[in-house]
Amino acid sequence: MTNFVDYLLGGFSNGAVIALMALAIVLVWRSTRMVNFAQVGQAMFTTYVALTIQQSTGSWILALVVAMAAGLVLGIVVFFLVIRPVKNSDSTGAIIATFGVLIALQAGAGMIWGGDPQGFLTPVDNSGIEFAGRIWPISLYDVLVLVVTAALVIGLTLLFTKTNLGLSMRAAAFNPEVARLSGVRVNRMLITGWAIAGATGAVGGVLIAPVSTISPNSFDILLVFAFTAAVIGGLDSLIGAVTFGIGTGLVISLVSGYSDSGNAPIVALILLALNLLLKPDGVFGHHGARSV
Amino acid sequence: MLHTEDLSVSYGAVQALKSMNLTVPRGEVTAVIGANGAGKSTLMRTLAGLVRPQTGQVLLDGVSITGKKPEDIVRMGVALVPEGRSTIPELSLEENLRLGGLWRDKAGRLESQQKVFDLFPILAERKNMRADTLSGGERQQLAIGRALMSDPRCLLLDEPSLGLAPLIVTQILELVSTLAKETNIAILLVEQNAVTALRVATTGVVLNLGEVVKSGPAQEISSDEELRHAYLGY
Amino acid sequence: MKTLRSFPGNRIIWHAIIVGVVWLLLLLLNNNIDPLYSSYLALVAMYATAMFGMTILVGLSGQVSLGNGALMAVGGYVFALTSMNWQTVPFFGWEWNAIWSMVFAGLGGVLIGGIIGGLAARLKGPYLAGLTLGVAVGVPAITNRFPELLGGENGLMLTVPYPAGGYAAIDAGGEVATDEGGDAAVDIETDAGATGEDQQYAELDLSEFDQGTDPLAEEDLLTEDDLLTEDDLLTEDDLLTEDDLLTEDDLLTEEDLLTEEDFGAGGDLGIDENVVDPTEDPGVDGAGLDGTDIAGGGFIDGFDSEFIIERWQASMAIAVACIVAFAALNLVRGRQGRVWKAVRDDPVAAAVVGISPSGSKVSAFVVSSLFAALAGAVFAQILSFIGPGAFGLGLSLSLLVGIVLGGRASLLGAISGALLLVWLPELVDGLSGERGWPEQITNNAPNLLYGLLVVAVVLLAPGGITGTFKSWIDKAKGRGRATLS
Repeated sequence: MTNFVDYLLGGFSNGAVIALMALAIVLVWRSTRMVNFAQVGQAMFTTYVALTIQQSTGSWILALVVAMAAGLVLGIVVFFLVIRPVKNSDSTGAIIATFGVLIALQAGAGMIWGGDPQGFLTPVDNSGIEFAGRIWPISLYDVLVLVVTAALVIGLTLLFTKTNLGLSMRAAAFNPEVARLSGVRVNRMLITGWAIAGATGAVGGVLIAPVSTISPNSFDILLVFAFTAAVIGGLDSLIGAVTFGIGTGLVISLVSGYSDSGNAPIVALILLALNLLLKPDGVFGHHGARSV
Repeated sequence: MLHTEDLSVSYGAVQALKSMNLTVPRGEVTAVIGANGAGKSTLMRTLAGLVRPQTGQVLLDGVSITGKKPEDIVRMGVALVPEGRSTIPELSLEENLRLGGLWRDKAGRLESQQKVFDLFPILAERKNMRADTLSGGERQQLAIGRALMSDPRCLLLDEPSLGLAPLIVTQILELVSTLAKETNIAILLVEQNAVTALRVATTGVVLNLGEVVKSGPAQEISSDEELRHAYLGY
Repeated sequence: MKTLRSFPGNRIIWHAIIVGVVWLLLLLLNNNIDPLYSSYLALVAMYATAMFGMTILVGLSGQVSLGNGALMAVGGYVFALTSMNWQTVPFFGWEWNAIWSMVFAGLGGVLIGGIIGGLAARLKGPYLAGLTLGVAVGVPAITNRFPELLGGENGLMLTVPYPAGGYAAIDAGGEVATDEGGDAAVDIETDAGATGEDQQYAELDLSEFDQGTDPLAEEDLLTEDDLLTEDDLLTEDDLLTEDDLLTEDDLLTEEDLLTEEDFGAGGDLGIDENVVDPTEDPGVDGAGLDGTDIAGGGFIDGFDSEFIIERWQASMAIAVACIVAFAALNLVRGRQGRVWKAVRDDPVAAAVVGISPSGSKVSAFVVSSLFAALAGAVFAQILSFIGPGAFGLGLSLSLLVGIVLGGRASLLGAISGALLLVWLPELVDGLSGERGWPEQITNNAPNLLYGLLVVAVVLLAPGGITGTFKSWIDKAKGRGRATLS
């Protein structure tokens, strides 16, 4: 039982990062009805930017802020260069184009920063907290990860529910034509969606980097986990992405604890396949059938 | 006053509107009637900026809105309620309304909202419900309310009666007619249901294959039997 | 194409003639080029085989799948396992040979492809891509799940697949394979190609060893006498004493150092030309790939006076590619091709005229899986190796890149994509050699180009290389613009 609790507790901060990546995927889906398979690649790239900042200035906060800004910019750049021109022409092409971006970003990062995994320093202690006579599988850093994630999620929720910008973005996502007829500048909302997604993914990247090291393709597996979480959550739902992001983190932690961390992708795959078979619209989804 | 000059629209080789001249005066309802495929919806979508005309102009109180984007046209004062109860079911009723005039200052928005609630009291009662819990008639009221939130000088209504019970259609159209008179806005109503439309309209315009075949006082048109047989099919 | 259709007679016969002629030409080419180029030819044929499946799946059926690299792994593993473990065909008792392994590899692909395809047919666009992405990323995990059977991260190593020599396989040793696991996914093609050549060296050494050794005779077997007795155990006397330690006198002095004169006689230092420095990329200069260096020695009747492994691999890969091309040609240009396109373009309309959209999607998946598995079996033979690293996400992505750049919905597109996948890294390598680029640039340049080209092609020329050529030709002929299909 102690093991179970420990594994569960150990999964929260990973889950938080998966949740952020899933959020990024959902934000993009809501704005342009497509899955950005380069999302995690963008996060990888901005994390390298953050690493460079951290190495030269020593400041983690500055690195995080710069990564967010870079994520914002990269999201906009990808949107303008790739997504906007391709969007209406063919949907197969749009998916392929995001993979093209992923390949180019990974190669670009390899060119600039090399292929060897690099470490990322934590701003606070990353060893288990000692409390009530035992060492818990949660570190101060894990707490920081959870706090940052929670802050971001709360911020996004307020943005979407309380502000005019958020309302415009939601309207643009759900029904672009009605939104335009209501005076919403839909194109700007799509760009905003991509930009916020880029920044959200960037935060996720900076948060996971100290735990997992960073290399051009070290986040590939994160893409699978995040996609799984986003799809199970319904792709449209921010709450779904967060819930199942953390849920995926917990499941992975349990699987890794009881068997081997190498089995985590298989479990994610089974979850994804079962979900697509049994509940193809996701648990929080409310859209029509996916097959047509 | 909304006014078109020589407005032509074609989709590829098909010409949907041919050199159309139309005037929609303020303070009254102008009804455009015609069979399926007469070009009614194309006319509305062109006026709202969703379709670009090949030639011709659209003028609002003498200012050209031709070729502008829909989001700019609504800000200039022409609001379209598209076919099919165009509310966003995922948003609450209040949010649907709010969406209609996001760019306006808060005082103006609240004033418009009060007007909408006065016009459609049922919306005030259900303010916080999701739009997909409303009935068809309520949703149509919400869609019109959302358009009114932009404080339009011209309101375009595309087939508001579609799929609604006759009694509700009459209610809504009568409200619309009152609205035109009380607030002095120009209303262009497109309807397949010619009888009801002509009852509330001041002027009637008959459209066939993209051309105006007849326009005049509504009563005159509804009593023109030949016209009815030829173009309206009743 | 138009002229072809206007010929009288059965279309299948014409397809057979075309493929047959191409096959012959390729074999002629293969026998008359430098073995280095034969090894490229083998890779091109292998990629083309897999990408004929991508033409059908992505191009005609409109399903973006990243699972085909994993299906190649299925083919490769089935090939390796059956050739390693079975001496006869189960239930039939026929003598085993490589062709049976190919058949079973194909069946394995059909089975797994059918399962994934059945799932996939219910999904559209991004969901399918995401699910198959998971499959591609999950391949290493799956092989790790069964380390005894599949060799885990290290994979399985096949010895040289001689046509006459049968197949044996051993577990791949540590270094080569760990290398695979670490890097292969980063690079798409370069790595697979480069590791392929690394593997080839390892395998060549083994082959020479194999050939030199006759099957063990009875005398060679260990008898009871050979068992160690108590006398053989080391006693205290055998321990090294202080006297045995090296003294200062034993250290080499300056005089012992080799002087320049000692280097005079080139090859006398005992460095065999076949031994290639593993840190050096053999693909660049082709050192050691020259057929004459490879002391094959085995004669194959009616084929070539000297057995050259690259030529054999190329002819094997060409054979598979041509057979698959023939099948693909008949499918694509026949009724089934029209069914796939109809469902891609408008599933509802297709259903109205009695075509099952999901059936069509599954069939595209199964056919492409079959082709992928066969390509995987060929790839395993070319690499003499099958492991998760070389068959991971990178390979799947490179298939996607190839088919998009070559031309999504055309078999010629698959071939030009395959050429591009093999040629571009070599081009970059060559340039890098001339200009002296740092390794970091050279290693990543092909992928950067692939990524940017994929985006550019999707935006500007969705028909890829072949589609663009076709529209040029059509324009020159004054016909309308060519579309995607």
